[in-house]
Amino acid sequence: MKKDLKKVRNIGISAHIDSGKTTLTERILFYTQRIHAIHEVRGKDGVGATMDSMELEKERGITIQSAATYCSWKDYDVNIIDTPGHVDFTIEVERALRVLDGAVLILCSVGGVQSQSITVNRQMTRYKVPRIAFINKCDRTGANPFRVTQQLRDKLDLNAIMIQLPIGLESDLEGMVDLISMKAVYFDGDQGEDIRHEEIPANMREEAEAKREELLDAVSMFSDELMEAMLEESEIPEAMIHEAIRRGTLSLELTPVMIGSAYKNKGVQLLLDAVNTYLPCPTDVENTALDLDKDEAEVVVSNNPDDQLVALAFKLEDGRYGQLTYIRTYQGVIQKGDTIINSRTGKKAKVGRLVRMHANEMEEIDGAGSGDIVALFGIDCASGDTFCSPGINWSMSSMHVPAPVISLAIKPVDNKAQINMSKALNRFTKEDPTFKTFVDHETSETIISGMGELHLEVYIERMKREYKAEVEVGAPQVAYRETITQRADFDYTHKKQTGGSGQYGRVGGYLEPFEDGEYEFVDQIVGGVIPREFISSCDKGFQKSLEKGILTGAQITGVRVAINDGSYHAVDSSDIAFQLASIGAFKQGYAKAAPVIMEPIMKVAVEGPSEFQGAVMGSLNQRRGVIIGTFEEGNYTVVEAEMPLAEMFGYSTTLRSLTQGKAEFTMEFATYKQVPKGVAEELIKAFAAQKKDA
Amino acid sequence: MGYEPLVQQNPLRVLDMNRENNQMGLVMARAGLGKTALLVQIALDAILRGKRVIHVSIGESIEKTKTWYDDILQLILQDHSVSRPHELIDMVARHRMIMTFKVAAFTRSRLEERLNDLVLQDIFRPNCLIVDGFDFVNTDREALDDIKNLMESMNMQAWFSAICHRDDARVSPAGVPAPCHEIDDLFDMIILLKPEPDATIQLDIIRNYGEQVKGGKSLHLDPTTMMVKEM
Repeated sequence: MKKDLKKVRNIGISAHIDSGKTTLTERILFYTQRIHAIHEVRGKDGVGATMDSMELEKERGITIQSAATYCSWKDYDVNIIDTPGHVDFTIEVERALRVLDGAVLILCSVGGVQSQSITVNRQMTRYKVPRIAFINKCDRTGANPFRVTQQLRDKLDLNAIMIQLPIGLESDLEGMVDLISMKAVYFDGDQGEDIRHEEIPANMREEAEAKREELLDAVSMFSDELMEAMLEESEIPEAMIHEAIRRGTLSLELTPVMIGSAYKNKGVQLLLDAVNTYLPCPTDVENTALDLDKDEAEVVVSNNPDDQLVALAFKLEDGRYGQLTYIRTYQGVIQKGDTIINSRTGKKAKVGRLVRMHANEMEEIDGAGSGDIVALFGIDCASGDTFCSPGINWSMSSMHVPAPVISLAIKPVDNKAQINMSKALNRFTKEDPTFKTFVDHETSETIISGMGELHLEVYIERMKREYKAEVEVGAPQVAYRETITQRADFDYTHKKQTGGSGQYGRVGGYLEPFEDGEYEFVDQIVGGVIPREFISSCDKGFQKSLEKGILTGAQITGVRVAINDGSYHAVDSSDIAFQLASIGAFKQGYAKAAPVIMEPIMKVAVEGPSEFQGAVMGSLNQRRGVIIGTFEEGNYTVVEAEMPLAEMFGYSTTLRSLTQGKAEFTMEFATYKQVPKGVAEELIKAFAAQKKDA
Repeated sequence: MGYEPLVQQNPLRVLDMNRENNQMGLVMARAGLGKTALLVQIALDAILRGKRVIHVSIGESIEKTKTWYDDILQLILQDHSVSRPHELIDMVARHRMIMTFKVAAFTRSRLEERLNDLVLQDIFRPNCLIVDGFDFVNTDREALDDIKNLMESMNMQAWFSAICHRDDARVSPAGVPAPCHEIDDLFDMIILLKPEPDATIQLDIIRNYGEQVKGGKSLHLDPTTMMVKEM
């Protein structure tokens, strides 16, 4: 099982929605002979592309969850993680990026770099993922790979350099010139499976020479030998250029640009060659884990199959045979029958079935070496958990998980739906850390929360389809928060004497704004005025108070509570008495601490033709937005703004009608900010009315 | 607003900036001496005086320009105690708008169109325009005059930056180097940044509100923070 890690590639395919990612993956699987027929995403045969395994994805023609699949190309093992393209699912993208060593960034040759590509690119930079750009759809009307390459430089700040030139464009796309071998490449056969190398067409010779010069200039930075060879004007071996491009790519200082059309079966095999040649193998990338036994000291994983196992569960799926857990191994090997430990829970588990996944089909295997991506059956865990061999207790560094910003109340229509709904929710929360659910004790409603409208819509759809749980859906609610803006003292006595044993507790102290976190409890009690055993009761009482603010019933954050005084009764004081005293004390202090309502602010980017810039800015301004800035290039413009989430419901419809459907926008959570006075008053009024009705 | 101390203590008070609106200022230096840092400080000073600023960045990204403001504002907050820093940061964001253009996309007509978009819809009414990265080499007097007229008609102050080169010896009688040596009369304020042997950068104020200044060299840029300091 020990295989040459140099010949393993764990890659992601990441892109803007509709740039043809799924089609490209489909072609890759076809050429690597994992599948034997090609189905289009929106094909007439109704089968759908192989990677989109969920029904819903097939219907909407988009990829929601990343499925990992394995294939092999020219003796290299390639694991492909298909990643979703919509910004509402970025946790999926980020999780996938965590386990990748390299990525292919797909761009549409017509649409070019769009706002989603910018987000994805930023994520790739954050996780230091080396990438190759593939400009797809060169057969489309309006295709201009040169413009897209320039955009990669301008908008994504990548050192993008074309290593191919198209032979013809749009409907005349015939093939491409490989600027390294200086040959024309054509793709014959019904499915482009026969590759034919020819001399470069005479009319392109000059352009190709010039572009090759540009390429060599750019990549010689990464290779002294190449630089020397160029200075000496001697023959430059292809391998030397490949090596220089590889070095540049791995250092993230160069992004080779390839072109083609997956739909027309052109250029895909060359892209696979490039994946093998330029993208890193597991040992090229340094990954770190945290040693939980050594106070979370950072340790570098070795990639050595002889070391103890460290593996990350990066994705869960509920299949026909139970829970399927996708893992990436970072060192050691995992084999059937091994005992592994979940370092989060400390629970032991035995490895049962081990499979290599290819979308819906799976291949039974006995074990997997370090650097591999495989799936386990019957292991209970959550997404993001780390598995180790007995003896070490490491955790792959925690992934950046944003807090949910929007929530919905859902109500099952009948009893059966109720049972199915809880099953579904249980599954979804395990799969997706940005999806949260809880029951509101006051209204007994089930609340789900997540990263955006579409995010929640998709889960509701999945509940209906996969779990047959029909639910009624309430209007989306923004996750407001409350916090205090000044220090306030409290001194509260809780006393109750109505037969039986009484309750007594007095708590004194103060509340103050706490900017660095959500809550801090400070015990300044001296002389035992509150006995030790009741200190934690106070803490508990204060934490309970944080659940619902008095202004809007939203969660309270950013509060430091200090207790410095109190008194007790030898008989009547108890845990519950001090909890209730603390709740009373908090209420008393909170009202005096000038509480305010905070709302989630989103970073929004709207892009489209310049003629609509004024209208777009107007629409953002009307929605209480702060326009940060604008960017203009030719007839194309981007407006960046910080917008309250509460004002963004239905914005896509507004934007569509304002711009004849020519502009689009992306949105991601930025921060929480205080709600302006007028809006706050309305929220408080609405909450009061709601309380009255209840 | 309660930011008067910040305004009063600003070394930039040496410049006579709040006399009236429609004047044009120019910051000149060789590459890398701190033109943008100075322009951002001028902009922040205007914002603290209650003005609204449009920062035009030619050939730069929104993100980078915003970072300049964030960094310099942080330095100001480090040096001065402000009771509610978040409110100040918020106030700056609301009084500033960044417009970035690809080099070729910036023209007077485009600028006028954008400013009108903002003013007519009452989205943002700027008092001050900062133009960083303006191409003086390929601009004639007429075009700049045009912009000056636009500023006057909109009752705005404007500040430009220009790069001069060591090997270009051309200089106007007032001491303004190329490429602005033939158009220096269009500007009411001119500051030249000059590196000193002790690694600080001196602000040589050549013209202050239309008046020729001799020996106006009491300000310099701290080389580590790029903040304006008094000697």
